[in-house]
Amino acid sequence: MSDLTLNIASLPGNVGVQAQRSQAADICARTGLPGKRDEDWKYTDISRLTATLGDAWWLTAPTAINSDATSLATIDDLDAYRLVFIAGQFQPEQSNLPDGVQLRPLSELLQNDTDDSAHCLFKLDESAPLFNGLLAANSALASDGLCACIGDGIKLDKPLYAVHVGNSTAHTLNGLMLGKGAEATLIEHFIGTDSDQAGLSNIATYLRLGDNAALTHYRLQLESDKQFHVGRVEVKQARDSRYTLHAVELGGSLSRADIVVNLAEPGASCALNGLFVASGRQHIDHHTRIDHNAPHCCSRENYRTVLDGRAHAVFNGKIVVAEGAVKTDSAQSNGNLLLSKHAEIDTKPELEIYNDDVKCAHGVTVGQLDKNQLFYLKSRGLSEDEARQLLTVAFADEILVAMDIKAVRSFIEKEAFSKLPNLGDLEGVLG
Amino acid sequence: MLKIENLHASVAGKEILKGINLEIGAGEVHAIMGPNGSGKSTLSNVIAGRDGYKVTAGSVTYNGKDLLAMEPEERAWEGVFLAFQYPVEIPGVNNTYMLKAGVNAKRKHQGEQELDAIDFMQLVKEKAKLVELNESFLSRGVNEGFSGGEKKRNEIFQMAVLEPSLALLDETDSGLDIDALRIVANGVNKLRREDRSIVMVTHYQRLLDYIEPDFVHVLADGQILKSGDKSLALELESRGYDWVKEEAAA
Repeated sequence: MSDLTLNIASLPGNVGVQAQRSQAADICARTGLPGKRDEDWKYTDISRLTATLGDAWWLTAPTAINSDATSLATIDDLDAYRLVFIAGQFQPEQSNLPDGVQLRPLSELLQNDTDDSAHCLFKLDESAPLFNGLLAANSALASDGLCACIGDGIKLDKPLYAVHVGNSTAHTLNGLMLGKGAEATLIEHFIGTDSDQAGLSNIATYLRLGDNAALTHYRLQLESDKQFHVGRVEVKQARDSRYTLHAVELGGSLSRADIVVNLAEPGASCALNGLFVASGRQHIDHHTRIDHNAPHCCSRENYRTVLDGRAHAVFNGKIVVAEGAVKTDSAQSNGNLLLSKHAEIDTKPELEIYNDDVKCAHGVTVGQLDKNQLFYLKSRGLSEDEARQLLTVAFADEILVAMDIKAVRSFIEKEAFSKLPNLGDLEGVLG
Repeated sequence: MLKIENLHASVAGKEILKGINLEIGAGEVHAIMGPNGSGKSTLSNVIAGRDGYKVTAGSVTYNGKDLLAMEPEERAWEGVFLAFQYPVEIPGVNNTYMLKAGVNAKRKHQGEQELDAIDFMQLVKEKAKLVELNESFLSRGVNEGFSGGEKKRNEIFQMAVLEPSLALLDETDSGLDIDALRIVANGVNKLRREDRSIVMVTHYQRLLDYIEPDFVHVLADGQILKSGDKSLALELESRGYDWVKEEAAA
């Protein structure tokens, strides 16, 4: 791991950032990668990372991708401010940024020796929930990302659409802060190219919501087949703020995301919607952690997974209600559809409640397609394949309809179900 | 057009149908009545092709073809329709989308051109009127959140859209109040045609006040014990089923 320390000397950032980097490198060297003995990594074997990328799994290798963002599988009919990152590096000529909003790529902030605004992003808290060596590596090595501050009362007229392209190893660090009453939509889209190359996308995204602010966050993971993807989304919410996440996991060889939400002040609410569609030998793992730290906060969580082939998914939803967090309203639901007998799901709701005045509901289902529904559709003239496809799409419907940007929803609908065999045109399927 | 000969079928190793013989001609309306557990629903399910029923002997031919060798969807393409006793809810699958897929699969099978979205919507709206089904139901998930009566109406609406040549109505009247029954029965009556046979399975004579059958059969203990015209239904209403059983045993 000492190599990692050597590596950071050449990275951008002023003295303060460099100090944070070397601290992070030390932590990374000390903690290393999480092992199977770690409860939070019991079902996800991250040693596949070193087996594929070697001991220096964190090493960023420059890759030549000459693709123009317009030729990539991005969401075309989306009216948005675009930020394109290729192999972890911001591409100004392919991006268009909004006016009147503080929004800059991290790489630009790091060029300026007197600018300290990026400091806080590099600071690590080892006692934070689900902290691990991968996050430390991100802090040590990140050189680019999206940094934005939406001022008080500003409502961004279009979504921020951050497209991350590449099969290389990249450590990306994003920070988005919303002032009082500010509103924005952030779409993070991870796309692989068709290459056979494997790399690690290590993405950390820190979100801060001011009083009464509202953020809708799409996190769309469509990496290519061999890619490793690890991500952390850390959200801190002030009074009455509202956070909505649509997390979609379709790509990658192994993908893990830690979603950590802190409902820090009264009246804050969050909704986490997740959709996994996995096949082959894909491995997808989401660990979510919601801390109710103040009264009258509300959390909703709905994850659905569709697994085919030998795919393996892990869902862990932990909710912690603090002593003073009275009138907490929390509901969690996780539905799993196994299309093949070799697919596997490990799902675990975890509740820790330290006061009596709370409403917490949770439910898990694991099942196959319903035989009675299949027969009903077939008796109306639909073929076996057609009926199976329809029911599969319907299962995911709850998550899809919650997506309020139609272009994103149609895109995901198409991408998700093109993975499953024999799906035709699904226009108009959903009820 | 439908010919059932010596049909034996079992469920989970238990014999339910014990030699059914029945012939149904084009345009005829038959009522099959019988006490609970007599095998009425098993008969409809075997004809429609539901899993879990094992035919141990006999045959079912439809327009000269072996119906039992076909998949449920192939039977639908051949014109067989089952109105379910308990229609399932399929949240997330649009009612109209399902029907369009069904209609077009059948048209394709018959070598006809598939309907486009506009023609289909027109057809669907017209048929919805037949059973007084509010148009808002068309774009909802199949039976999703429908009341019992609405589900049964939706079944007859689907029958109207799919235009079968053989319709099996499995206890379509059960659970309906008088007003809902009248609407459903009116719908069925409007769908009577010279080239469309209808088989109603019921244990209430009440349905037959609204839909007049050409033939009435009594099914008990897996066999058809007696057949007659609509007056038989009235007799069953007043005398119950036991006398038929006794008569058959004698």
